[in-house]
Amino acid sequence: MMSGMESERDAAADGQTDEARTGTSEEVAMAAPDAAASESDVTRASSETESALVGDKLALSYPTSDGPVVECDRIDIPRGEVTALVGPNGSGKSTLLKSLAKQLSPDEGHVYLDGQKLSEYDDGAFARELGLLSQEHDSPGSITVEKLVSHGRYPHRGFFEQLGEDDRQAIDRAIDLAGVEHLRDRQVSSLSGGQRQLVWIAMVLAQDTDVLLLDEPTTYLDLHHQLRVLETVRQLNEERGVTVAVVLHDIAQAARFADYLIAMQDGSVYDWGPPTDVVTEELLADVFRVDATVTYTPDPSILPNRSL
Amino acid sequence: MSDAHRTESQSANPLGWIDGSLVSLCLASILVVFIGGLVQVSLGAFSMSLAEAWQAVFDPAVVSNPSVWVSLLLGGALPDLAKQTLVVWTIRVPRVFVAILVGANLAVSGAIFQAITRNELASPFILGVSSGAGLAILLTLVVFSGLSAFLPILAALGGATAFAIVYAIAWKNGTSPVRLVLAGVVVGTVFQSLQTGLFFFADDLGVVQSALAWTTGSLTGTDWEQVRTALPWSILAIFLALAGSRQLNVLLLGEQTARSLGMSIEKVRFALAGVAVLAAAASIAVAGIVGFVGLVVPHLVRNIVGSDYKRLILGCVFAGPALMVVADVGARLLLSPSQLPVGVVTGLVGGPYFLYLMRKQQQLGEV
Repeated sequence: MMSGMESERDAAADGQTDEARTGTSEEVAMAAPDAAASESDVTRASSETESALVGDKLALSYPTSDGPVVECDRIDIPRGEVTALVGPNGSGKSTLLKSLAKQLSPDEGHVYLDGQKLSEYDDGAFARELGLLSQEHDSPGSITVEKLVSHGRYPHRGFFEQLGEDDRQAIDRAIDLAGVEHLRDRQVSSLSGGQRQLVWIAMVLAQDTDVLLLDEPTTYLDLHHQLRVLETVRQLNEERGVTVAVVLHDIAQAARFADYLIAMQDGSVYDWGPPTDVVTEELLADVFRVDATVTYTPDPSILPNRSL
Repeated sequence: MSDAHRTESQSANPLGWIDGSLVSLCLASILVVFIGGLVQVSLGAFSMSLAEAWQAVFDPAVVSNPSVWVSLLLGGALPDLAKQTLVVWTIRVPRVFVAILVGANLAVSGAIFQAITRNELASPFILGVSSGAGLAILLTLVVFSGLSAFLPILAALGGATAFAIVYAIAWKNGTSPVRLVLAGVVVGTVFQSLQTGLFFFADDLGVVQSALAWTTGSLTGTDWEQVRTALPWSILAIFLALAGSRQLNVLLLGEQTARSLGMSIEKVRFALAGVAVLAAAASIAVAGIVGFVGLVVPHLVRNIVGSDYKRLILGCVFAGPALMVVADVGARLLLSPSQLPVGVVTGLVGGPYFLYLMRKQQQLGEV
């Protein structure tokens, strides 16, 4: 079922990519939100590749690091698509995701959401637009699944506000979408790792945002739960048009799952585009230091041979 | 299906968060406070029998007379009352009330600090509050003895000032739980040394004893005056703590999650810490620095009602007084006829309880 839908989507993506890829750098620059005046032209010219999130001339570092961890001229997360950030350990993909999620403010450059600088959003308004699932999360000693999911409504509630009808609907919808209805009254601490991840995803879904960022949501999960997580995200993208950016560890999985890939190497973007273009034997050798055979059927499938 | 579920789910009912364990905890605490209070009012220099003392407690001339309550709580002349009633209601009962307020404040304050620092071993005094208050107490008694009438307020201010210094030291593009705790240790160490140093300049035993009573916490000689001092701040702090319980719950999800949910972490953390310091200061102003209550009670309550902060805070409001009233009875009886500072007793009770927890729980330290 998944593969059928995917190939259709890929075909569609193929069509639009040629435009996008042949587009000159000027055209891409025009899509930059600071050219707000020409925004409507840009939207008409390349409606397929309009970006929900744009990173412009970013330099990112942590207080503890010497020099920037990530430097990238330009990064786009296309609206309504699923974009996967891939790269080896330490390539800066999680760091980049953090800056897109306003968790890390860039040393230089800006990130734009819907054409507005992240630094101009207040915390609450931003959290109503963009949700983030971090790589690690703490859950308190005792909390039920339903209660945890209800915290996803935090940005929608005033200080003294009780949960309203909207909130409850959003919570029910999120629990339903993540497929954790049967766990609703269980304690989060009593769940398996995979179930817990689905519950945390339900919490982010309850946040009801147009953009969703996920940092390695499938790492450490068994195959069943990996697919459950990805299917949930895919369903959200298809049914509700949510823009998704996800850091994935496994390039083969990312190639099958995402509409676009951003391949990172040593803190900069190595390549960007649909999986059929990005995933090549050369990329695997250069970026992942793996000798692999890639076959296109038409999705790229990767058979690793040996490490380089 | 989800509709059917919703009608029975907790969130549909505004009071659904109050569950059986919380109700039992509160009722048990009230019972303990009541019994402890009855014991406490039976003790004292003015000799009267148990029956007389208890009759005096329930003397309808006080209990069912609003004007007496008003003059007790707001200050003012009392009407003519039986002698026993007067002794019980003006000397013995207020001590129980002060114990209730101090216990509730310290427990709530500790619970908040445990969430803010993400550390179950945090107490109301972790961010320098006790050492700041202690230093202010010593300074007042030893150096500025002319100001001793303002001692309670100065002690509370000292605590709040130390907290502000801790925050300033910890701040570097924002704070973190670890930085706050470390800054608390830094300020605590320095202030503690200064405080100890000041003891050498105390020239008579009375001053030293008074300083010790304040720095270990004592309810001896507390009066309606102390109830009047602490009550408004206690009500405010407890109200704010309950109102902020959802923020505390979200903080427990980890800083990153809280921020991605749109919480302005620094503001919320500072505001909540302010509420906790307010509660601690209110108790310092009337009883000095009573240790261990703020550490042990939230722990105990968490074991019973779970880690949801709405339940936890409410549980603390009831369980804190229970521990405090019982400890104060102990302070009075242990070395009778002389009285111990109540802080000595809470330390004696709290230490072994903590040891027990340490042995029993695998994951002590995680909130």
